[in-house]
Amino acid sequence: MKTLAKKDLVKAINIWADKFEVLSPTKTTNGDCIFDTFQENKFTTDYKKPPLSPKASFFPQTEVIFKVEKNEYREVVAAKKMLLFGIRSCDMMGLLQAASFMSRDKKDVYYNAKRDMAATVVMACPGPQNETCFCTTTLSGPVAKKGFDLQLYDMDNVYLVEVGTPRGEKLLSGIPLADMDDGLAKRQIEEFKQKAVRNIPEVKAVIEAMNKLKDHKADEKVWDSFGQKCITCGGCAFVCPTCTCFNVYDHQSSPGNGLRARTWDACLYGGFTREASGHNPRSSQALRLKRRHEHKLLDFNGIDIQGGLCGCVGCGRCSDYCPVHIGTLEVVKAIAE
Amino acid sequence: MVGLAATFGSGAMTNSINDFDDADMFLVIGSNTTSQHPLIGSRIINAVKRGAKLLLIDPREIQLAEFADLHLRQNIGTDVAVLNGIMNIIIEEGLYDKEFVETRTEGFDQLKEIVGKYPPRVVEKISGVKATDLKKAALMYAKAKKAMLAYAMGITQHTTGVDNVKTCANLAMLTGNLGRPSTGVNPLRGQNNVQGACDMGGLPNVYSGYQPVTDAAVKKKFEDAWGVATLDDKVGLTITDMMMAAQKGELKALYVMGENPLMSDPDTSHIEQALSNLDFLVVQDIFLSETAAKADVVLPAASFAEKDGTYTNTERRVQLSGQAVSPPGLARPDWQIICELSTLAGYTMNYKSPADIMKEINALTPSYAGITYERLERGHGLQWPCINEEHPGTPYLHKDKFSKGKGTFMPCEFKPVAEMPDAEYDFMLTTGRIYYHYHTGTMTRRTSILEREAPAALVEINPEDAKKLGIKNNETVELTSRRGSIRLKAELTKRVPQNVIFSTFHFHEAPVNILTNPAYDPIAKIPEYKGCAVKIRRCA
Amino acid sequence: MRRTRTVCPFCGCGCSFYLLSEGERVTGIEPSPSNPVNKGMLCVKGWNAHEFIHSPERLTRPLIRKHGELVESTWDEALKVVAEKLLDIKKQFGPRALGFLSSAKVTNEENYLFMKMARAAFGTNNVDHCARL
Repeated sequence: MKTLAKKDLVKAINIWADKFEVLSPTKTTNGDCIFDTFQENKFTTDYKKPPLSPKASFFPQTEVIFKVEKNEYREVVAAKKMLLFGIRSCDMMGLLQAASFMSRDKKDVYYNAKRDMAATVVMACPGPQNETCFCTTTLSGPVAKKGFDLQLYDMDNVYLVEVGTPRGEKLLSGIPLADMDDGLAKRQIEEFKQKAVRNIPEVKAVIEAMNKLKDHKADEKVWDSFGQKCITCGGCAFVCPTCTCFNVYDHQSSPGNGLRARTWDACLYGGFTREASGHNPRSSQALRLKRRHEHKLLDFNGIDIQGGLCGCVGCGRCSDYCPVHIGTLEVVKAIAE
Repeated sequence: MVGLAATFGSGAMTNSINDFDDADMFLVIGSNTTSQHPLIGSRIINAVKRGAKLLLIDPREIQLAEFADLHLRQNIGTDVAVLNGIMNIIIEEGLYDKEFVETRTEGFDQLKEIVGKYPPRVVEKISGVKATDLKKAALMYAKAKKAMLAYAMGITQHTTGVDNVKTCANLAMLTGNLGRPSTGVNPLRGQNNVQGACDMGGLPNVYSGYQPVTDAAVKKKFEDAWGVATLDDKVGLTITDMMMAAQKGELKALYVMGENPLMSDPDTSHIEQALSNLDFLVVQDIFLSETAAKADVVLPAASFAEKDGTYTNTERRVQLSGQAVSPPGLARPDWQIICELSTLAGYTMNYKSPADIMKEINALTPSYAGITYERLERGHGLQWPCINEEHPGTPYLHKDKFSKGKGTFMPCEFKPVAEMPDAEYDFMLTTGRIYYHYHTGTMTRRTSILEREAPAALVEINPEDAKKLGIKNNETVELTSRRGSIRLKAELTKRVPQNVIFSTFHFHEAPVNILTNPAYDPIAKIPEYKGCAVKIRRCA
Repeated sequence: MRRTRTVCPFCGCGCSFYLLSEGERVTGIEPSPSNPVNKGMLCVKGWNAHEFIHSPERLTRPLIRKHGELVESTWDEALKVVAEKLLDIKKQFGPRALGFLSSAKVTNEENYLFMKMARAAFGTNNVDHCARL
C-alpha cells in the first residue's frame, strides 16, 4: 500500500489543483472552516463538517437549466473538472445515495454531468467531529466502504492511501509516495477503524425509532410538539446530503428571452405540497415533519440506500443547524422514548 | 429610539442576541419574534424549552403564544396601561429593586404617583386584560433574576410609541433588569441596517454617532473635517415632515436612496400627492419600485451582493459584507454614485473604497472609533461603543452607570389610539409583516420559494366576526378607511381577537397603507400603523 | 466556485452567510458556522436571499423622465441632471427645499456619505430614513 508523507500533502493538492478545481477545508479570516476553492495559505487539515455537504457541488442551490434567446431554446449543462478533498465518509455515503437517486429511472443530466467530472478524496474520520455524529449507527462511517477515488488514513507522519477506483489510481501519478507493507497497512487501517468506531457511540434510538415507525407504534404527539416549534426555515433539507428536491422558476428578461432555473426546495415548506385548489394534503407542520422523517428513516428507496441503513447518513447537520433543535437525533430520541 | 435615549441616554438594544440563551424570563411585547426576527425567536423557544419563563403581551395569537407561560391579549394600543398596571402591582407588593432604584435612577416618586393611577381593575377596563392575569404577569417579571424585555414595531408604531418605549424602560429600571447580561430593554430592529442608518446620522438632528447638529463644538468639528465654511445648525425635517412640506410646496426636491415610501408610508394617497407636488424626485434603487416609477431620474444601484461595506445589526454589531459578483448592466454601488454626484455638485468626494470611508467614520464618530476594516476582517464584527482600536466592543450597555449618568423614570399616562373604531368604521385594523416577506416585497416577492409560500395579501379576521358579516374563508373582501379602500382575501383565524383585523404592507396589489392613519407620535414621528378604524364587507 | 462572506439583507438580526458564486452568477448560500448571531443557521428568507439578485427586473441603466416617460440614459447625463436640478432648486428656494431619504438597507459607509452629501454639498439637515416605518 502507498503512503503520502504529511509534509507532501500540500504538494499533492497543488498538483491536483493544476488539473481540477479543488474544494478543500479552508480556514477563513473570521474563524469559520468551510469547503472552498483550495488556497494554500488557508488550507487546513484541522476541520469539522461545514454546514453544506458536497451535494452543493453537484446540485447547486440555484442552477440555470436552460436559456431562451430570441425564442431559441438552449439547455445549459454546466460541469467542470472538480476534486473534493477531505470529505468524510458520511458525506461520501450521502453522495452515493443522492447520485443513485439522480441517475436511476430518469438520469438528471445536470447532476450527472458534474458528478461524472468530479473526483473524490475521502479523509477517513478519526472520531466524532462533534456530539451530533452518528455514522456508525447509519453504517456510513467512520470509513468509506465505496464510492471514493482515494481514501486517506491519518497515521502520525503519513497518510495511508487507499485507492478506490482507476480514476483514483490516475490521481496518484506524479505524487511523491512511499510504500508500506500491505499486511502492516491493513492492520493499521483496522486499528484506525476500531479506534474511531469506539469514539463514535452507536445511537440505539435510531434503530428503535425505525422499528416503531415501521410498526406504526410511534406516538403521534411527537410530531405535534416538534411541529409547534418548527420555524419553517427549510435548513434541515438544505444541509442534508441526501435531500434533492427542487422547485423550478422562470425569469423572462424580455419577450422571447429568459431562462429557467431550479432551486432547492424543502418538504417542510407548506407550498411544497399545496395543490392548485388550495388544498394541502400535508396541512400542518407536524404532518410535514412526520413525512420528512418517515421518508429518511422508513421508506427511502432500497436501491438508493447503497449499503447504508436508511436515507439518513448520520452526519448530524440537521441537528447542528436547526434553530429549534428538530434534527434527526432529537426526533429519533423522542420517538424511541 | 427617542424613548430609550431620553431614559437611559442611549437609544439602542441594551443587550446582545447571545443573551437570549441565558435569560430566566422574557417579556415580549409588540414583537412577532419567530416571524420577524426568526433567529431571535428560535432562541426564545429554546430557552423556554429549558425552563425559562415567557410573558407575551400581544393582541394576536402569534407562534410564541404557544410557548408563553402567560399571554396577555390587550386591546390595541393599550400597552402603557398594561405596563403601568404591572408596575403598580410591583410597587404595591414591594417587589421592586430598591437598591437599583435608589442608586441608579431618579424620578421614582413621579413614577409611583402616575402608576398609582393604574390599579388592576382600572387597567382591566382599559385593556381588557384580567386583573388576575395582570398580577401573575407582575409577579413573573418582578421575581425573575434575569429578565429580558424585547419589543419591536408593535409598540413603536403608535401615536404613543415614545410613551410605550419609556414605559418599558421604566419597568426594566424598576426591577433592576439593566446593566447585566441577559436583562435589559431590547428593541428588535426591523431592517438589516436601520441601526446603522441611525448611527451614521441619517437623521435630521444628528451627525454620525448621535452628535447633535445643534452643538457648536460638534458643528465646528465636522466643518473642519469636511472642509466646509459653515454647516446648518438647525434641526432638519423628518420624513413625515418632509412629506407635509412637499404637500405645501415648501419642499421642492426629494432624493430617495433605497426606500419605497409610496408603499411603506401611511395614507398612501397623501404621499402620492406630496411626491407629485415636488419639482424634482430622484430615486436610487435596485428595482423600479412604486416610488421609483414616479421619479424624474432613477439611478440603478448595486445590491448587497455586489459591493463591499458594513452593516450594523440590532445588537449594535458592525459586520463586514463582501462583494460576490459585479452589479448588473450599468448599476453602481450607492457610495460610488454619491461620490460622483457630490463632486459634480461642487463638493469633491474622493474615496477609493468603503474601507477608505470607514477611516473617516472612525475619526469623526467616537462610538465607531475602534471599528476598523482590519479588525472586522479578523472576526465576526464589533459591537459599539468601541472607542479605540484596543477596545473589545460592548456586549451590553449601562453596566455600572447609564450613558447619561442616572436613569430617569419617565412615567406616562395612557392615551388611546388616535382613530378608534366607531359606528361606521367598526373594526380596528392593525398591520405588520408576515414570515415569508420583507418590507414592501421588492426583494422577497421576486424570490420563487417565498412568493410561492405567500403569493397574495390576506386579511386576518376572527371567525366569529366573519360569521356575522357572512364572510367565508378565502373570500374577497373590501376594507375601507376614511382614507381609501383595498380588496383582498379573508383568512378566518382565531389569531386575531374579535373586532380586530390584521394585514400586511408587502403586496402592491392590496397596499394596506392606503388605509392606515398618518397620525404620528409627536416626538418620534412614527405613524400609527398598528391601529386605525376600518370597515370590512364582502365583495359581491 | 467562490464563497464571499456577506450579511443577510433582510431583518435586523444580521445573520452572516457566504454567497456561493460561479463567475458572475450567485448560486447559493452557506451560513457562517462560527458567527455568534446565527451559528450556521438561517430562516426561510435568509436561505433564499440570493435569488432576487439576478431578477430580470433589476435596474441596469439610469433612467430620465422625458415627455412623461422614463427612458434609458447614461450616467453622465443622469448625474448631470440631478446635480444641476438640485443646485438650481437650492439657489432658488434655499437648501431647506431639498430633502434626502437615506436607507436602512444600504451600508454604513453609504449612509454616512449620503448624509455628508446632504449636509456638506447641499447644506441641508433634511436627512431622514425609514427606521420610523
